[in-house]
Amino acid sequence: MGKVTLCSDWLDVCSGCHMSLLDIDERIIELVKHVQLLSTPVTDLKHPPEEGCDVGILTGAVSNDHQEEVARRMRERCKVLIAVGDCAVTGGICTMRNFFDVEDVLERSYVETESTDEGQEVPRSEEIAKLYPQVKAVNQVVKVDLHIPGCPPPADALWYAITELLAGRTPVLTDDMLTYD
Amino acid sequence: MPDVRVTIDGTEGSVPAGITVLEACRKLGVEVPTLCDHPAIEPIGACRICLVEVEKQRALQPACTFPVSDGMVVHTRSDRVVDARRFVLQLLFSERNHFCMFCQMSGSCDLQDLAYDYGLDHWEFDRAFPRMGVDASREFFVMDHNRCILCRRCVRVCDELVGNATLGVKHRGAETMIIADMDVPFGESSCISCGTCLQVCPTGALGDRASAYMGATDEITRVKSTCTGCSVGCGVELVVRQGRVIRVEGDWDAAPSDGLLCEIGRFGLQHDKRRRARQPQVRQGDGWVDSTWDDALSAAAKGLAAAGGELSTLVSGTATNEMGAAIAAKLPGTKQQLGTVLLDDSAGLAALDEADLFVVVGTDLTVEHQVASFSIKRGVRHRGARLMLVCDGDNGLAPWAFKQVGLNEAASVLDIIKGAEQAVVVYDAKRSSVAKAIAEAVPGAKCVAFTDGANTKGLAAAGVAEAFAGGAKAYLVVAGEETGADESVMAALGAADFVAVQASYAQPWADVADVILPMPTMWEKSGTVISADGVEREVRGAVAFEGLSDVTTIERLGALLS
Repeated sequence: MGKVTLCSDWLDVCSGCHMSLLDIDERIIELVKHVQLLSTPVTDLKHPPEEGCDVGILTGAVSNDHQEEVARRMRERCKVLIAVGDCAVTGGICTMRNFFDVEDVLERSYVETESTDEGQEVPRSEEIAKLYPQVKAVNQVVKVDLHIPGCPPPADALWYAITELLAGRTPVLTDDMLTYD
Repeated sequence: MPDVRVTIDGTEGSVPAGITVLEACRKLGVEVPTLCDHPAIEPIGACRICLVEVEKQRALQPACTFPVSDGMVVHTRSDRVVDARRFVLQLLFSERNHFCMFCQMSGSCDLQDLAYDYGLDHWEFDRAFPRMGVDASREFFVMDHNRCILCRRCVRVCDELVGNATLGVKHRGAETMIIADMDVPFGESSCISCGTCLQVCPTGALGDRASAYMGATDEITRVKSTCTGCSVGCGVELVVRQGRVIRVEGDWDAAPSDGLLCEIGRFGLQHDKRRRARQPQVRQGDGWVDSTWDDALSAAAKGLAAAGGELSTLVSGTATNEMGAAIAAKLPGTKQQLGTVLLDDSAGLAALDEADLFVVVGTDLTVEHQVASFSIKRGVRHRGARLMLVCDGDNGLAPWAFKQVGLNEAASVLDIIKGAEQAVVVYDAKRSSVAKAIAEAVPGAKCVAFTDGANTKGLAAAGVAEAFAGGAKAYLVVAGEETGADESVMAALGAADFVAVQASYAQPWADVADVILPMPTMWEKSGTVISADGVEREVRGAVAFEGLSDVTTIERLGALLS
């Protein structure tokens, strides 16, 4: 049997969840014996291949149209989709902007920030992804098979989830592996 | 009523008739999760997390409000129950803005604990992200509506236990909001800062400013002690992390107040802005120099000895029995108490809950001995008891009173009191004679007396029984955390040849003292006190004090003076 293939990507995110994945430390050597990483945001290949993969991991919330596209592509190309981290699972800290109008958020970020020079404007290029009025959790956009909350999730929880999947079982997070902060 | 037979999760047992399913579960050792229920208040079945399956009942029933009946069969862990509880949790989380990762109560939150227990790893429903306000208008704690689950614990303790009824709700359904008074900012309301609502909030909706982010449940220890803020003697739990008291809570298991504290007991010491006396100091000219314990004790002994026999030790009512005994045994000169000494027999606080008429003489209980005012307010509000004030000037309890007369008209109230089934005369030791005259004229009337000092009875029993009389040339003031003393005392100290002060805070003593010896606070010292009701209670040090203990300081000073 060939290796299990795994792709990961990040959405509206601080990247801490991918750091937590690296925090499995030397177990990563054991991991690559069984798993082939096809694409991740921190390797050369960024996008899951068209032929698909076994496991997809998404971190981060869905805040704009680009991120929704990334989430949908991952869903289409993987068999099992895991939402990793509070932002992917609930929207997390990104949802703090849900209490404000999007235009106010953009003004605050690009114009009013204390470190911004006078006369700056909100960039309006068509090339730039459009912010949604509300930040969403991944499961509000695509079907998610497994949720691993945490800010970030403990490395042990990620290791446990992956090894359980490799063993053909559905991971059930308990005790210290289930955390919301 | 006779007991009834119930079967809970297959365990059959006999429980008293009339209790709730929840109480029956606890008696039989079956755990049922709760959020809105609290043992100190009446259940209302608001949160539905305690749903259980009762056979022959069509729908799941809230255990906290459903009464047991004979032959009842209850299932608390069936799939139907667990699914319902998970559903309830999903609804609670979806309603407002519950984000643990930036909540100060993460790790100390009943709602979060339940989500962990029931394995919630994501939210099934879209959230509304309602724009909720944060009311930070109070000095000591903050109300964050984003985290509120509308369990109404705060509303009920404010009404049922404290009798203040500041908190309430407006609107209905999902629009429901907790409000203060007629929807005014919390800080401008009739709230008296007792903090009972803060203590019972199961989420982060009410948050303590001082201990925010200072320690979650698994990082803290709790030390049961006694508040020495006044002579009521409320039981406290000192919440400690890494050698610091981060918060004070009421001890639900401790008489006399059964978990209630006042603003002074809960927040007083935590928010005392005065500079702590940590290093012994000796006056040099107009200024102060830091000293060693040896040198400061020598300087104190020398100054006190110079007064010959005209030496007096003034002891704060916060001092423990052990201090009283050491002072009586080891120090020369006269020994007097700094404040008003309470020697009268007094019924306990519980007597107030049985009274149908309160006669409060010469004290504003909403300022002094506040916890006693809670008993009176809830008695008036919930039992129809009546309150009469015998005092001059404004009184915080006036809105609860049906009559107020001046102290010199005390005799005019006797006819009214005689008609009561159980009159209780409540007074401060300063008005002992007036109050006792009223009580003695009415057979069966009880007296409940207080004084500022937590331990004036214990100190008196230890041999420090007299009140301040003045006339000495040198004074040793055992001040503890006292914020001051009567003008006559301060004047006598100012006129004395020499004053040594053993105090937790330099102010206001630095103005009159020649030597300041640091003293542990009620969080740092151990010993016993005898409260106004004559009961001996334990003060337990929860954190270390760097310096000589209170008793050792007296013993060393005594040795130098002998």
